[in-house]
Amino acid sequence: MGKTLFEKIWDSHIVVEKENIPSLIYIDRHLVHEVTSPQAFDGLRMNNRAVRRPDLTIATMDHNVPTNDRSLPILDQTSAIQIQTLEKNCKDFGIKLFDMTSPNQGIVHVIGPQLGITLPGSTIVCGDSHTSTHGAFGALAFGIGTSDVEHVLASQTIWLEKPKSFEIKVDGKRKNPHAVTAKDIVLSIIKNIGTAGGTGTVVEYSGEGITDLSMEQRMTICNMSIEAGARAGLVSPDEKTFDYLRNRQYTPKNYENLVEYWKEHLKTDPDAKFDKTFTLHIDNIAPQVSWGTNPGMTCDVTESIPSPEDYSKNDQNQKKAAAKALEYMDLKQGTPITEINIDRVFIGSCTNARLEDLVEASKVIKGQKVSEKVRAMVVPGSQMVKKQAEEMGIDKIFTNANFEWREAGCSMCLGMNPDILSPGERCASTSNRNFEGRQGTGGRTHLVSPVMAAAAAIEGHFVDVRNLDLN
Amino acid sequence: MKGNVIKYQRDNIDTDVIIPGEYLKIHDYAELATHAMEGLDPDFHSKVKEGDFILSGKNFGCGSSREHAPIALSHSGIKAVLALSFARIFYRNAVDGAFLLPIEIDENAYQNISEGDEIDIDVSLNEIKNITKNQTYKMKPFSEIIGKIIKAGGLFKYKPD
Repeated sequence: MGKTLFEKIWDSHIVVEKENIPSLIYIDRHLVHEVTSPQAFDGLRMNNRAVRRPDLTIATMDHNVPTNDRSLPILDQTSAIQIQTLEKNCKDFGIKLFDMTSPNQGIVHVIGPQLGITLPGSTIVCGDSHTSTHGAFGALAFGIGTSDVEHVLASQTIWLEKPKSFEIKVDGKRKNPHAVTAKDIVLSIIKNIGTAGGTGTVVEYSGEGITDLSMEQRMTICNMSIEAGARAGLVSPDEKTFDYLRNRQYTPKNYENLVEYWKEHLKTDPDAKFDKTFTLHIDNIAPQVSWGTNPGMTCDVTESIPSPEDYSKNDQNQKKAAAKALEYMDLKQGTPITEINIDRVFIGSCTNARLEDLVEASKVIKGQKVSEKVRAMVVPGSQMVKKQAEEMGIDKIFTNANFEWREAGCSMCLGMNPDILSPGERCASTSNRNFEGRQGTGGRTHLVSPVMAAAAAIEGHFVDVRNLDLN
Repeated sequence: MKGNVIKYQRDNIDTDVIIPGEYLKIHDYAELATHAMEGLDPDFHSKVKEGDFILSGKNFGCGSSREHAPIALSHSGIKAVLALSFARIFYRNAVDGAFLLPIEIDENAYQNISEGDEIDIDVSLNEIKNITKNQTYKMKPFSEIIGKIIKAGGLFKYKPD
């Protein structure tokens, strides 16, 4: 029987395989950031261990860096300490670091592909659950905790039970691909399979709806695999993948030879069997807006807030969860999504802060102004994205519309730096999690695409962006 | 292993409510613990006692890879989380550092164990005794390797046979 892409990558990275125990898997790239690494480096020091492959380890600071003027000192002392600690650890252990002043600094999952560090067929780990993003390039990429970070630093390997394989087929063509985006596809998937629908699996996304997407859009899809509980999500590499990675700063010298190898090896065999499958037809899907407190609590922009009974007919726990979510979100059943007024807009995060996201969002706002009731900000995913956008004049479109244009980082996606919601504030956010308090204590998050976020900034509420002229 | 139960009758308790992002900068585990569960239950820190257990529904610990989540619970005194199912990174982090036991239970145990019940978990028998209610439930056995890592006191103390 044939093998899936995931199985091929898995098999080519086995160091130790025995019956009834997890396998020891080799790691090709280890991405490190300031929040989940300090204890791991402490552990190495305590045990007099070195970093096994500093040359395969790359660090940046993204989670709690301020996104205002980089020449100013960091006011939050605990953030400053965490950032200084990463600097010291990278220096002590010989690891390449893109620090706050580096033109390569940015969200770890944005810079990996941009620099050509992310490669098809490789294994990539990082102490961050959205490591699944790199799967867009046909890499097996997943998030790990700090103990595993220490294990990989010390050994360049990880013990892992082989996950199951899950094919998510995205069939059909979107009628309006500027208004119905990759974010809407992945939110639709999670709405259908649930936040634990992918638990214990590696997802392979396939079908016309995926091959049609650009690399940046595929990253948005793979990024949110974890929100369905999957360990990783990946897409078979194709010409778009190879083109994207060609001539980047760290693209390997023998790149064209690699491409030949990848073309031959990195696809699922026609007779391979997946443990699980799901198909989404996208011909008629609408722009999505989350209304609750997990990414599965999402509906079409044309719908109204569901009642707990409508949300789940049979499951009492689900019903209760929906009722609690409505209470937290201060929403009433039956309210049309387009009548929900917002206070804040956040265009950013490893899900949706790449150049294409900013370009698409800028088309919505050109020549208009942010609603007087709304404070809106753009946080580019990396300093390189920021620079590219500025060279195109995109920053001016945002600032002329009264958006704040900030420095790169994770920012308001997870509320670790000063960019947070105040209690009760309602935000249209291009990030990945609408958990209670995620963007600041008492903050209310609606997950949407960059286009929807931009339109909401102008109007002060959600709109059906299919009615806008976005070409 | 005996203790009392703190019950959250809901699914999808995520890592952002277990330990909100703003506290991930804290290096001191005791201080981190003072903010455990703050996103969901601000009274948690005042009511939790050494040796307590948390009982909850499906997909416990979904979200971020932050090991701070099991650490914050562990340093609050929580010895085990009993849930219908776990998000995989949380489960792995809990075992890696032997911070707490992630115990998968069935619907029977979930429905019958109440807030405050005193229970006795016997991992060798895969049994949970409810001392308060005089009932016994099954727990899902740990796989062999997970059992060995937990027994050794975590990933770095475990030596393969």
